Amino acid sequence: MNTDDINLAYKIRHALNDNLDALPASTTERLAAARAIALSRKKADAPVQQPRKSRRFFDVDFHFSGAGLGRLGVAIPLLALVVGLGGLYQYEQQQRIAELAELDAAVLADELPLTAYLDHGFNAYLESQQRQQ
Amino acid sequence: MATDKELGDFLENVERRAFKQAVYAVRKDEAALDIVQDAMIKLAEKYGDKPAAELPMLFQRILQTTILDYFRREKVRNTWVSLFSGLGRREGSDEDFDILEAYEAEEGSAAAESTMDQAERAQTLQLIEAEIQKLPARQREAFLMRYWQDMDVAETAAAMGCSEGSVKTHCSRATHALADALRAKGIQL
Repeated sequence: MNTDDINLAYKIRHALNDNLDALPASTTERLAAARAIALSRKKADAPVQQPRKSRRFFDVDFHFSGAGLGRLGVAIPLLALVVGLGGLYQYEQQQRIAELAELDAAVLADELPLTAYLDHGFNAYLESQQRQQ
Repeated sequence: MATDKELGDFLENVERRAFKQAVYAVRKDEAALDIVQDAMIKLAEKYGDKPAAELPMLFQRILQTTILDYFRREKVRNTWVSLFSGLGRREGSDEDFDILEAYEAEEGSAAAESTMDQAERAQTLQLIEAEIQKLPARQREAFLMRYWQDMDVAETAAAMGCSEGSVKTHCSRATHALADALRAKGIQL
Protein backbone atom coordinates (compact mmCIF):
# COMPACT_ATOMS: atom_id res chain seq x y z
CA MET A 1 0.00 0.00 0.00
CA ASN A 2 1.31 3.43 -0.89
CA THR A 3 1.26 6.50 1.33
CA ASP A 4 -2.01 7.81 -0.10
CA ASP A 5 -3.75 4.55 0.71
CA ILE A 6 -2.43 4.55 4.27
CA ASN A 7 -3.48 8.18 4.71
CA LEU A 8 -6.95 7.37 3.48
CA ALA A 9 -7.12 4.38 5.84
CA TYR A 10 -6.27 6.56 8.82
CA LYS A 11 -8.75 9.25 7.76
CA ILE A 12 -11.44 6.59 7.62
CA ARG A 13 -10.33 5.42 11.05
CA HIS A 14 -10.74 8.96 12.34
CA ALA A 15 -14.22 9.20 10.88
CA LEU A 16 -15.21 5.87 12.42
CA ASN A 17 -13.96 6.98 15.82
CA ASP A 18 -16.05 10.15 15.53
CA ASN A 19 -19.08 8.01 14.91
CA LEU A 20 -18.49 5.98 18.06
CA ASP A 21 -19.49 8.95 20.19
CA ALA A 22 -22.87 9.01 18.52
CA LEU A 23 -23.93 5.64 19.86
CA PRO A 24 -27.30 5.78 21.63
CA ALA A 25 -27.30 5.61 25.42
CA SER A 26 -29.26 2.36 25.44
CA THR A 27 -26.49 0.71 23.43
CA THR A 28 -23.67 1.96 25.65
CA GLU A 29 -25.60 0.88 28.75
CA ARG A 30 -26.15 -2.56 27.30
CA LEU A 31 -22.45 -2.82 26.45
CA ALA A 32 -21.50 -1.78 29.99
CA ALA A 33 -23.87 -4.41 31.40
CA ALA A 34 -22.36 -7.04 29.11
CA ARG A 35 -18.89 -6.05 30.29
CA ALA A 36 -19.97 -6.39 33.93
CA ILE A 37 -21.37 -9.86 33.25
CA ALA A 38 -18.17 -10.88 31.50
CA LEU A 39 -15.99 -9.62 34.34
CA SER A 40 -18.10 -11.44 36.92
CA ARG A 41 -17.40 -14.67 35.03
CA LYS A 42 -13.69 -14.09 34.57
CA LYS A 43 -11.60 -17.22 34.69
CA ALA A 44 -9.87 -17.42 38.04
CA ASP A 45 -6.12 -17.07 38.04
CA ALA A 46 -4.44 -20.44 38.03
CA PRO A 47 -3.27 -21.30 41.59
CA VAL A 48 0.47 -21.38 42.08
CA GLN A 49 1.61 -24.97 42.03
CA GLN A 50 3.40 -25.96 45.22
CA PRO A 51 6.26 -28.40 44.66
CA ARG A 52 5.04 -31.72 46.00
CA LYS A 53 7.17 -33.66 48.44
CA SER A 54 8.13 -37.03 47.11
CA ARG A 55 6.51 -39.83 49.00
CA ARG A 56 8.45 -43.02 49.30
CA PHE A 57 7.25 -46.21 50.84
CA PHE A 58 9.16 -47.39 53.90
CA ASP A 59 10.78 -44.02 54.38
CA VAL A 60 10.63 -41.88 57.45
CA ASP A 61 9.50 -38.94 55.31
CA PHE A 62 6.35 -40.75 54.23
CA HIS A 63 3.24 -39.22 55.71
CA PHE A 64 0.15 -41.30 56.16
CA SER A 65 -2.23 -38.80 54.68
CA GLY A 66 -5.71 -39.73 53.57
CA ALA A 67 -4.59 -40.17 49.97
CA GLY A 68 -1.65 -42.39 50.99
CA LEU A 69 -3.86 -44.63 53.09
CA GLY A 70 -6.37 -44.82 50.30
CA ARG A 71 -3.69 -46.01 47.90
CA LEU A 72 -2.47 -48.61 50.42
CA GLY A 73 -6.04 -49.77 50.96
CA VAL A 74 -6.20 -50.69 47.28
CA ALA A 75 -2.66 -51.98 46.86
CA ILE A 76 -2.58 -54.47 49.79
CA PRO A 77 -5.67 -56.52 48.80
CA LEU A 78 -4.45 -56.53 45.18
CA LEU A 79 -1.06 -57.84 46.30
CA ALA A 80 -2.73 -60.51 48.47
CA LEU A 81 -4.91 -61.56 45.53
CA VAL A 82 -1.93 -61.90 43.20
CA VAL A 83 0.07 -63.92 45.78
CA GLY A 84 -2.94 -66.15 46.47
CA LEU A 85 -3.59 -66.85 42.80
CA GLY A 86 0.10 -67.61 42.26
CA GLY A 87 0.14 -70.08 45.18
CA LEU A 88 -3.02 -71.80 43.96
CA TYR A 89 -1.54 -72.17 40.48
CA GLN A 90 1.66 -73.73 41.90
CA TYR A 91 -0.31 -76.16 44.07
CA GLU A 92 -2.45 -77.29 41.13
CA GLN A 93 0.64 -77.81 38.99
CA GLN A 94 2.25 -79.98 41.69
CA GLN A 95 -0.90 -82.07 41.99
CA ARG A 96 -1.07 -82.58 38.25
CA ILE A 97 2.59 -83.65 38.08
CA ALA A 98 2.10 -86.10 40.91
CA GLU A 99 -0.92 -87.69 39.20
CA LEU A 100 0.95 -88.06 35.92
CA ALA A 101 3.94 -89.60 37.71
CA GLU A 102 1.70 -92.22 39.29
CA LEU A 103 0.21 -93.09 35.91
CA ASP A 104 3.66 -93.27 34.29
CA ALA A 105 4.91 -95.58 37.05
CA ALA A 106 1.89 -97.85 36.61
CA VAL A 107 2.37 -97.97 32.81
CA LEU A 108 6.07 -98.84 33.18
CA ALA A 109 5.17 -101.64 35.59
CA ASP A 110 2.73 -103.04 33.02
CA GLU A 111 -0.02 -102.97 35.58
CA LEU A 112 -2.59 -101.23 33.42
CA PRO A 113 -3.50 -100.79 29.72
CA LEU A 114 -2.64 -97.60 27.80
CA THR A 115 -6.32 -96.72 27.58
CA ALA A 116 -6.13 -96.01 31.29
CA TYR A 117 -4.67 -92.63 30.30
CA LEU A 118 -8.11 -91.71 29.05
CA ASP A 119 -9.90 -92.81 32.19
CA HIS A 120 -10.20 -89.85 34.50
CA GLY A 121 -11.57 -92.05 37.28
CA PHE A 122 -8.45 -94.19 37.26
CA ASN A 123 -6.66 -91.85 39.63
CA ALA A 124 -9.34 -92.48 42.19
CA TYR A 125 -8.86 -96.21 41.66
CA LEU A 126 -5.08 -95.95 42.17
CA GLU A 127 -5.51 -93.92 45.31
CA SER A 128 -7.97 -96.41 46.75
CA GLN A 129 -5.52 -99.22 45.91
CA GLN A 130 -2.71 -97.38 47.66
CA ARG A 131 -4.86 -96.81 50.69
CA GLN A 132 -5.71 -100.51 50.86
CA GLN A 133 -2.03 -101.45 50.73
CA MET B 1 -1.72 -12.61 33.34
CA ALA B 2 -4.40 -9.92 33.04
CA THR B 3 -5.82 -8.56 36.27
CA ASP B 4 -9.50 -7.79 36.66
CA LYS B 5 -8.76 -4.13 36.08
CA GLU B 6 -6.71 -4.78 32.95
CA LEU B 7 -9.45 -6.96 31.53
CA GLY B 8 -12.11 -4.40 32.44
CA ASP B 9 -10.14 -1.56 30.88
CA PHE B 10 -9.52 -3.60 27.76
CA LEU B 11 -13.19 -4.47 27.34
CA GLU B 12 -14.26 -0.89 27.98
CA ASN B 13 -11.80 0.33 25.39
CA VAL B 14 -12.82 -2.15 22.74
CA GLU B 15 -16.55 -2.69 23.28
CA ARG B 16 -17.88 0.15 21.12
CA ARG B 17 -15.66 -0.66 18.19
CA ALA B 18 -16.51 -4.34 18.57
CA PHE B 19 -20.19 -3.45 18.52
CA LYS B 20 -19.77 -1.45 15.31
CA GLN B 21 -17.73 -4.25 13.77
CA ALA B 22 -20.54 -6.67 14.55
CA VAL B 23 -23.12 -4.24 13.16
CA TYR B 24 -21.14 -3.91 9.91
CA ALA B 25 -21.23 -7.68 9.63
CA VAL B 26 -24.74 -8.64 10.71
CA ARG B 27 -26.65 -5.36 10.08
CA LYS B 28 -28.78 -5.75 13.21
CA ASP B 29 -28.07 -3.81 16.38
CA GLU B 30 -29.69 -6.34 18.73
CA ALA B 31 -27.85 -9.26 17.19
CA ALA B 32 -24.62 -7.26 17.29
CA LEU B 33 -25.09 -6.54 21.00
CA ASP B 34 -25.66 -10.24 21.69
CA ILE B 35 -22.56 -11.12 19.70
CA VAL B 36 -20.37 -8.64 21.58
CA GLN B 37 -21.72 -9.85 24.93
CA ASP B 38 -21.05 -13.48 23.98
CA ALA B 39 -17.54 -12.60 22.84
CA MET B 40 -16.81 -10.69 26.06
CA ILE B 41 -18.04 -13.55 28.23
CA LYS B 42 -16.09 -16.13 26.25
CA LEU B 43 -12.94 -14.05 26.53
CA ALA B 44 -13.36 -13.62 30.29
CA GLU B 45 -14.31 -17.22 30.95
CA LYS B 46 -11.77 -18.95 28.74
CA TYR B 47 -8.88 -16.54 28.51
CA GLY B 48 -9.22 -14.37 31.61
CA ASP B 49 -5.89 -15.69 32.85
CA LYS B 50 -3.97 -14.78 29.70
CA PRO B 51 -1.50 -11.89 29.59
CA ALA B 52 -3.06 -8.50 28.80
CA ALA B 53 -0.97 -8.19 25.63
CA GLU B 54 -2.70 -11.22 24.11
CA LEU B 55 -6.22 -9.98 24.77
CA PRO B 56 -6.72 -7.91 21.57
CA MET B 57 -5.87 -10.81 19.27
CA LEU B 58 -7.87 -13.30 21.31
CA PHE B 59 -10.88 -11.03 21.50
CA GLN B 60 -10.87 -10.36 17.76
CA ARG B 61 -10.64 -14.06 17.05
CA ILE B 62 -13.54 -14.80 19.39
CA LEU B 63 -15.57 -11.94 17.92
CA GLN B 64 -15.07 -13.16 14.35
CA THR B 65 -15.94 -16.72 15.37
CA THR B 66 -19.07 -15.55 17.14
CA ILE B 67 -20.12 -13.56 14.06
CA LEU B 68 -19.51 -16.62 11.92
CA ASP B 69 -21.61 -18.72 14.31
CA TYR B 70 -24.39 -16.18 13.98
CA PHE B 71 -24.34 -16.53 10.18
CA ARG B 72 -24.34 -20.31 10.47
CA ARG B 73 -27.38 -20.23 12.72
CA GLU B 74 -29.08 -17.78 10.39
CA LYS B 75 -28.34 -20.02 7.43
CA VAL B 76 -29.82 -23.05 9.19
CA ARG B 77 -32.84 -21.03 10.28
CA ASN B 78 -33.36 -19.67 6.77
CA THR B 79 -33.05 -23.17 5.35
CA TRP B 80 -35.84 -24.43 7.59
CA VAL B 81 -37.98 -21.38 6.96
CA SER B 82 -37.59 -21.68 3.20
CA LEU B 83 -38.18 -25.43 3.39
CA PHE B 84 -41.50 -24.99 5.11
CA SER B 85 -42.60 -21.96 3.13
CA GLY B 86 -41.79 -23.64 -0.16
CA LEU B 87 -40.16 -20.50 -1.42
CA GLY B 88 -36.57 -21.46 -0.68
CA ARG B 89 -33.87 -21.25 -3.25
CA ARG B 90 -32.30 -24.45 -4.50
CA GLU B 91 -29.22 -25.59 -2.68
CA GLY B 92 -26.70 -28.31 -3.31
CA SER B 93 -23.78 -26.87 -5.18
CA ASP B 94 -22.84 -24.35 -2.53
CA GLU B 95 -21.63 -26.55 0.32
CA ASP B 96 -18.24 -24.84 0.27
CA PHE B 97 -19.79 -21.43 -0.01
CA ASP B 98 -18.61 -19.10 2.74
CA ILE B 99 -21.05 -16.27 3.20
CA LEU B 100 -18.35 -14.09 4.75
CA GLU B 101 -16.28 -14.25 1.57
CA ALA B 102 -18.93 -12.70 -0.63
CA TYR B 103 -21.52 -11.09 1.61
CA GLU B 104 -22.22 -7.62 0.26
CA ALA B 105 -25.00 -5.15 0.81
CA GLU B 106 -27.73 -5.20 -1.78
CA GLU B 107 -28.35 -2.03 -3.66
CA GLY B 108 -31.39 -0.28 -2.29
CA SER B 109 -31.21 -1.99 1.10
CA ALA B 110 -31.36 -0.04 4.34
CA ALA B 111 -27.60 -0.34 4.65
CA ALA B 112 -26.96 1.21 1.30
CA GLU B 113 -29.82 3.64 1.28
CA SER B 114 -28.13 6.07 3.62
CA THR B 115 -25.30 6.47 1.14
CA MET B 116 -27.65 8.43 -1.09
CA ASP B 117 -27.36 11.52 1.08
CA GLN B 118 -24.03 13.29 0.74
CA ALA B 119 -24.43 16.76 2.12
CA GLU B 120 -23.60 16.96 5.78
CA ARG B 121 -20.84 15.56 7.94
CA ALA B 122 -23.03 13.13 9.82
CA GLN B 123 -24.28 11.83 6.55
CA THR B 124 -20.74 11.55 5.29
CA LEU B 125 -19.85 9.40 8.28
CA GLN B 126 -22.88 7.25 7.66
CA LEU B 127 -21.83 6.92 4.08
CA ILE B 128 -18.35 5.79 5.05
CA GLU B 129 -19.86 3.20 7.35
CA ALA B 130 -22.14 2.02 4.61
CA GLU B 131 -19.20 1.61 2.25
CA ILE B 132 -17.38 -0.39 4.90
CA GLN B 133 -20.43 -2.59 5.26
CA LYS B 134 -20.38 -3.22 1.55
CA LEU B 135 -16.87 -4.62 1.64
CA PRO B 136 -16.51 -8.39 1.45
CA ALA B 137 -16.32 -9.65 5.02
CA ARG B 138 -12.70 -10.77 4.99
CA GLN B 139 -11.53 -7.46 3.56
CA ARG B 140 -13.58 -5.59 6.14
CA GLU B 141 -12.23 -7.67 9.02
CA ALA B 142 -8.65 -7.17 7.93
CA PHE B 143 -9.10 -3.45 7.34
CA LEU B 144 -10.82 -2.81 10.69
CA MET B 145 -8.36 -4.86 12.70
CA ARG B 146 -5.34 -3.24 11.09
CA TYR B 147 -6.44 0.38 10.99
CA TRP B 148 -9.15 0.65 13.61
CA GLN B 149 -8.09 -1.81 16.27
CA ASP B 150 -4.39 -0.96 15.91
CA MET B 151 -3.37 -4.57 15.46
CA ASP B 152 -0.22 -5.31 13.51
CA VAL B 153 -0.11 -7.62 10.49
CA ALA B 154 0.96 -10.67 12.51
CA GLU B 155 -1.79 -10.19 15.11
CA THR B 156 -4.40 -9.67 12.42
CA ALA B 157 -3.24 -12.79 10.59
CA ALA B 158 -3.43 -14.81 13.81
CA ALA B 159 -6.90 -13.48 14.61
CA MET B 160 -8.17 -14.17 11.09
CA GLY B 161 -6.46 -17.54 10.80
CA CYS B 162 -4.72 -16.67 7.55
CA SER B 163 -1.25 -15.68 6.33
CA GLU B 164 0.26 -12.24 6.72
CA GLY B 165 0.33 -11.92 2.94
CA SER B 166 -3.41 -12.47 2.83
CA VAL B 167 -3.91 -9.75 5.43
CA LYS B 168 -1.91 -7.30 3.34
CA THR B 169 -3.86 -8.24 0.23
CA HIS B 170 -7.21 -7.86 2.00
CA CYS B 171 -6.19 -4.49 3.45
CA SER B 172 -4.97 -3.20 0.13
CA ARG B 173 -8.11 -4.27 -1.72
CA ALA B 174 -10.33 -2.83 1.00
CA THR B 175 -8.57 0.52 0.92
CA HIS B 176 -8.74 0.72 -2.85
CA ALA B 177 -12.41 -0.25 -2.85
CA LEU B 178 -13.19 2.40 -0.24
CA ALA B 179 -11.18 5.02 -2.08
CA ASP B 180 -12.97 4.27 -5.33
CA ALA B 181 -16.38 4.25 -3.68
CA LEU B 182 -15.83 7.53 -1.84
CA ARG B 183 -14.38 9.16 -4.91
CA ALA B 184 -17.39 8.04 -6.89
CA LYS B 185 -19.65 9.69 -4.30
CA GLY B 186 -17.60 12.86 -4.50
CA ILE B 187 -16.41 12.59 -0.93
CA GLN B 188 -13.06 14.09 -0.07
CA LEU B 189 -11.58 13.11 3.29
